[in-house]
Amino acid sequence: MTHASVKYERMLSDLRMDLRPQREWGEGRGLFLVIGHFVVGIAAGAWLFALIFDRPAALVAAFALAALGGLAHLGFLGKPDRFWRMSMRARTSWISRGFIGLSLFLAGAALYLAPQYLPGTPWGSESLLADAGYAMALVGMVVLMGYMGFVYTSAKAIPFWNSPLHPALYVAYALRGGVAALFVTALADGGAGELPAVLLPLWGGITVLVALFFMLEIHGALTSGNEAARRSVHDLLAGRVAVYFYGGTLVLGLFVPAYLMYTGLTGPLSAGAMALLGVSSAIGDFFMKYATIRAGVRLPVWTHLTPQRR
Amino acid sequence: MTDLSDVSSRGVRDDKWIPTSCALCYGSCSILAHRVDDVVVKIEGNPDSAIGKGRLCGKGVSGIMTHYDPNRLTVPLRRTNPKKGLDEDPRWEEIGWEEALDEIAAQLRRIREDDPRKLIVQRTTTVTASRVPMLTFTAAFGTPNLSMAGGGLHCGNGAHLLSGLMHASWSIVPDFEHCNYAIYFGASKGHGAGHASGSNMKLAADARARGMKMVVVDPMCNFAAAKATEWVPLRVGTDGALALAMCHVMVRELGVYDAPYLQAKTNAPYLIGPDKRYVRDAATGKPTVWDLKAGAARPFGDVDAADMALDGEYDVGGVCARPAFALLREHLAKHTPEWGEKITTVPAANIRRLAREFVQEARIGSTIVVDGVTLPYRPVAAIAFRGSQGHMNSVYNFFAIDLLNQLVGAADVVGACLGFNPASNGYPGTGRLAYMPYPDDDGLMIAGTWMGYHKPYPVAEPRLPQKPGLQDFFVMGLNSPYLDSDDREALWDKFELPYRPEAMLNFGANLLMSIGNRESVARGLAEYKFMVSIDLFETETTRFADIVLPDCGHLQTLDSRSNYPFIFSLPGGMGEWCWPIRQPVLPPEGQQRRFQDVLLELSDRLGIRADMNAAYNAAMNLEGPYRLQGDHRYSYEEICDAELKCNFGPERGLEWFKEHGVLKWPKKPEEVYWRPFADVRVPIYWEFLVPVFEKMDAIGAPRGIKLPPEYYEPLPDFLPCLSHCCQKPGFDFYAFYYRDVLHTNSFTLENPWLDEAAQLDPFSYTIAINATTGRKNGLTDGARIWVENEKGRKVAGRVHLTEAIHPEGLGVAACAGHWGDGMPIAKGKGVFFNELLELDWDHSSPINLNLDLCAKVRVTLAEENAK
Amino acid sequence: MRWGMVIDLKRCIACYGCQLSCKAENGTPPGVFFARLLKHEEGQFPTVRQLFLPVLCNHCEEPPCVEVCPTGASFKTEDGIVDIDPDMCVGCRSCMMACPYGNRYFNDKPQHYFPDGPTPYEERRTARHQTDVVMKCNFCRDRLAVGKEPACVANCPAVARYFGDLDDPNSEVSRLIKDRGGFPLHPELGTKPSVYYLPA
Repeated sequence: MTHASVKYERMLSDLRMDLRPQREWGEGRGLFLVIGHFVVGIAAGAWLFALIFDRPAALVAAFALAALGGLAHLGFLGKPDRFWRMSMRARTSWISRGFIGLSLFLAGAALYLAPQYLPGTPWGSESLLADAGYAMALVGMVVLMGYMGFVYTSAKAIPFWNSPLHPALYVAYALRGGVAALFVTALADGGAGELPAVLLPLWGGITVLVALFFMLEIHGALTSGNEAARRSVHDLLAGRVAVYFYGGTLVLGLFVPAYLMYTGLTGPLSAGAMALLGVSSAIGDFFMKYATIRAGVRLPVWTHLTPQRR
Repeated sequence: MTDLSDVSSRGVRDDKWIPTSCALCYGSCSILAHRVDDVVVKIEGNPDSAIGKGRLCGKGVSGIMTHYDPNRLTVPLRRTNPKKGLDEDPRWEEIGWEEALDEIAAQLRRIREDDPRKLIVQRTTTVTASRVPMLTFTAAFGTPNLSMAGGGLHCGNGAHLLSGLMHASWSIVPDFEHCNYAIYFGASKGHGAGHASGSNMKLAADARARGMKMVVVDPMCNFAAAKATEWVPLRVGTDGALALAMCHVMVRELGVYDAPYLQAKTNAPYLIGPDKRYVRDAATGKPTVWDLKAGAARPFGDVDAADMALDGEYDVGGVCARPAFALLREHLAKHTPEWGEKITTVPAANIRRLAREFVQEARIGSTIVVDGVTLPYRPVAAIAFRGSQGHMNSVYNFFAIDLLNQLVGAADVVGACLGFNPASNGYPGTGRLAYMPYPDDDGLMIAGTWMGYHKPYPVAEPRLPQKPGLQDFFVMGLNSPYLDSDDREALWDKFELPYRPEAMLNFGANLLMSIGNRESVARGLAEYKFMVSIDLFETETTRFADIVLPDCGHLQTLDSRSNYPFIFSLPGGMGEWCWPIRQPVLPPEGQQRRFQDVLLELSDRLGIRADMNAAYNAAMNLEGPYRLQGDHRYSYEEICDAELKCNFGPERGLEWFKEHGVLKWPKKPEEVYWRPFADVRVPIYWEFLVPVFEKMDAIGAPRGIKLPPEYYEPLPDFLPCLSHCCQKPGFDFYAFYYRDVLHTNSFTLENPWLDEAAQLDPFSYTIAINATTGRKNGLTDGARIWVENEKGRKVAGRVHLTEAIHPEGLGVAACAGHWGDGMPIAKGKGVFFNELLELDWDHSSPINLNLDLCAKVRVTLAEENAK
Repeated sequence: MRWGMVIDLKRCIACYGCQLSCKAENGTPPGVFFARLLKHEEGQFPTVRQLFLPVLCNHCEEPPCVEVCPTGASFKTEDGIVDIDPDMCVGCRSCMMACPYGNRYFNDKPQHYFPDGPTPYEERRTARHQTDVVMKCNFCRDRLAVGKEPACVANCPAVARYFGDLDDPNSEVSRLIKDRGGFPLHPELGTKPSVYYLPA
């Protein structure tokens, strides 16, 4: 069996189902989209906290991650050479807005960071151009944090993603990822000074928020009366993608970092352990996104609402 | 030799819609093939034709992919492996046409000089137009043995016999335009497959929209049942019992029936003596009736129908005589709804209700005006086809069902059960193609036109068989399982068959899949000393051939008619008469040749061209200047041209038809609703079976052939199938198969578009079992299971648990489950149901040779589920 | 002017004529169905019903697929048809996630039905479609342009499909919807489909 014929068989078997899993985002080349969303989210969060807590290494990391995310997105597209066309429909399309946000962020961050790190840059770090870059990156950052959840919420075919909590959840992921990025970059910063003590409880707070949003979302899906949403929850917690959820999200993303945080709150935590917490938290976020995307089940065309006879 | 002058100009920009005919099923709908620069880019229905009316089913539009299938045969092949068997590789070598034809001619010449009957010619039913060239060659060669493989036999011997006897037609449909209440027994007319399937889909939908009630009696709720007002699930193969119980209610409980119709149009008033035979008039030899006015028995032709007694007991010259109807009334006494419930599982109350509804809706005695003609109006129809008659009890099942029509006079009148156009006043321009049912000496109906090798009535004289299929002994049978059965040699011995089949000329039939289990058929096939197969694909059967000839497909071939007879796929009811042709749209690929040309070429090599011409004259009824002369070597184009001009005048030859595609003229009410206009009666009492049985028994008994007399009684009864008698523990399901709307026999499985759709369908490739029963048996939806018959033959497949099947039923769609490499798309798809069918004396109807198409089976989980 | 379709479920017999005539018209690659037939079972033996539902792009008045498209490749024409400009599509598949009816397909491998390679038919018809972009039913705009009905409508052997102007209250489609209680799929989503169904 060739790769194409395996895909074809699965396509037909999906079409036979009343509750058809979505495979476009998250499988095959679709994995690039999850990676893209994941790193771009971290980038936005990292940028925010790096500015707040003045962590230059995190700023650079945020820029690099965003650039990486951009590339990942290109890898996902069917026609990557036409990527620029994605700027055309910002009025209605969250993807378009995200694309513009990412462009703004990358351009702004470049303008802002270049004079700080590239000696020959024709404009200075205090110049208008750098200030403009600062502003652009800030706007881009806000867009990047906000748009992703809406991309999923506007996917009407996948009821599981349609929760109004989804954008909030994605903002929370970005923030959690941002804190995590600070933990990790602190290692690179080396002697750049101790991380502010508030970061650890901040991470814990955001994590609690994420968990709360997530549980509310699950509860909402289960009580929505929507068969597809219920199936998604089932697939996530006890089905197709449960292993990613439990192994990736719960163990790596919650238990390991939570344990590290606990030790960090009760005693001193090494920079390495902090970094491990960050990495682990970030991996958990990745699997959280990956698992919820993969758990997407299409709205069945048949519903009890479809009147067949009068 | 192939004239393709209009399609051979490769490379020249052309863009044309060419009218021709589909051949993906025998419906043969009229199509338009859109050819752009030598490529067919679309097939659509031809709106100018009455056959399909411009609309096609999924198969028809998918014909493109059958045509362009790279697995089509393109060169003649010769077998180099002398061994033949299911696992034998033929080790083909490519040969040229000259070599192939030389070898075939040499073999056939040898056989013809020896005994021409040793050649068995076999053709697919999918291309009904092939009947004329194949029959012509068969006749010219001198063999009576033209077989249709599983076609006809399965669909089948009961349906065509009964439709012919009672409606002068190959098959029956409701008069969709006027019918108000149709009851289907194992039929899907208008909902998928069958004669005029495309046209009937619209007519049935119109009827549904108009409010026609439809009751569908079927073990499975699919196709017709899915669209029915009521689904009546019953035990597989018991349709006849349900119909008899309904007849009981009508005649004995409600006492409602159409007496004037029975008096005038059936043999119900004929007097029957204690010997079960007609009481005949001594002077004229005619059957008599009791003349109520005269108080005497008189020949039926001398008495006003209204004066004929239907009941009573009369002394006729010292003999106690009773009208046939009185015997029927008495006969039905035991067929109570309670009796019916036990056999069919249909509750007695429902049987009573259905019978009541049927007679109420029949509006006995009413008339209606159609196109200015006042006609009897009986808007009810009982329709049977493949499902109900595919059993040992084939004849009586169908007979009992048609009695429902006969009792209320719902036969070939407005709104009633109609034959497919069995009466025609002919093409107005020439008067040709006129035919009408007509009476024999006993007043019983003889069909005006027919397509089998003999008309269903009058019944032929049974004789010691000269045909290996034994149909000249089993005179009520059309097609036979005995060419391929396990016990054929023993039977031929017993019947002293003077020769043995030696060679087979196969056209497109996949015998190995289409009759019964493949081991039995393979044994028979391997015994042919020489086999030629003309085919589109290297089918499982073609792999047994010595020489394979690549045929042209439906877009490459020519036929002066898309059907035989031309009415075969013309819808019943009012509308138009229509004669479409099939013409080449594309040239042959590689070395493909039209089988019609090949047969002419072979006849030249055999030196039988004069016989061939004579046979064409007979088969096409060519007259006057259009008769083929002597041994002149006509091309097939010329022969087609002659038939068309003969029928439609010198202006309407092949060229005219190539341009126009079809010729139409309007039907008249007297043609469609012919019954009142034809002085014919149909038998509700089959008196002729009594002498048939006596004669057969006289031949058979001394040779140790025991015929069960209960199959030859003049009145129908319910006789169980072998599967109904199976008591073996664990064998809980009645397995049956049904036609899928997506597939034609085993042929279309190779079409990747149809295959893809069938893969998406929940039923096409699965084994349907009732959800409750299935769960009780530990089955889960989608599990792989084995289905095994009593003899241990088994097939595997995925189970589909459904509420839409009788708890005792097990339904398999289509003739699927190919295993050969010659049709790679088809290979391994679906379930090969026929493997469960035994091919022997015990599993064939002892009256019409119909094969028992149901089997009691056991279901077990395949190992892969056990993990 | 707003093109719309009415599918009479009473007339539909699940013959797959729509699915396959669409394939023949559009030459869609394997696994891509601009028109498709769904089967469903309702109730329990013996009061079970087999239900058939032919589906295709609903050409929504409020098409969520057009809204989410970042490039404008998905668009709505003035006569209400939702179509895709394959030259503008980047293949982000967000429209597939937005279409609640699942009637958009990504043109991926395999591109032909026989492993040996494309048939002459597929070289003509399937090869016209750009790969790696999203594709869907466009009510056979090419046919409409020359005055023909969409292939699935013209071909339906049970005559279960009607096509016309939903904006014209006197059109056949408008009258059928009004007289027989035509309903769209998932009206609760507010997409306002242009494909209506008549009850079986």
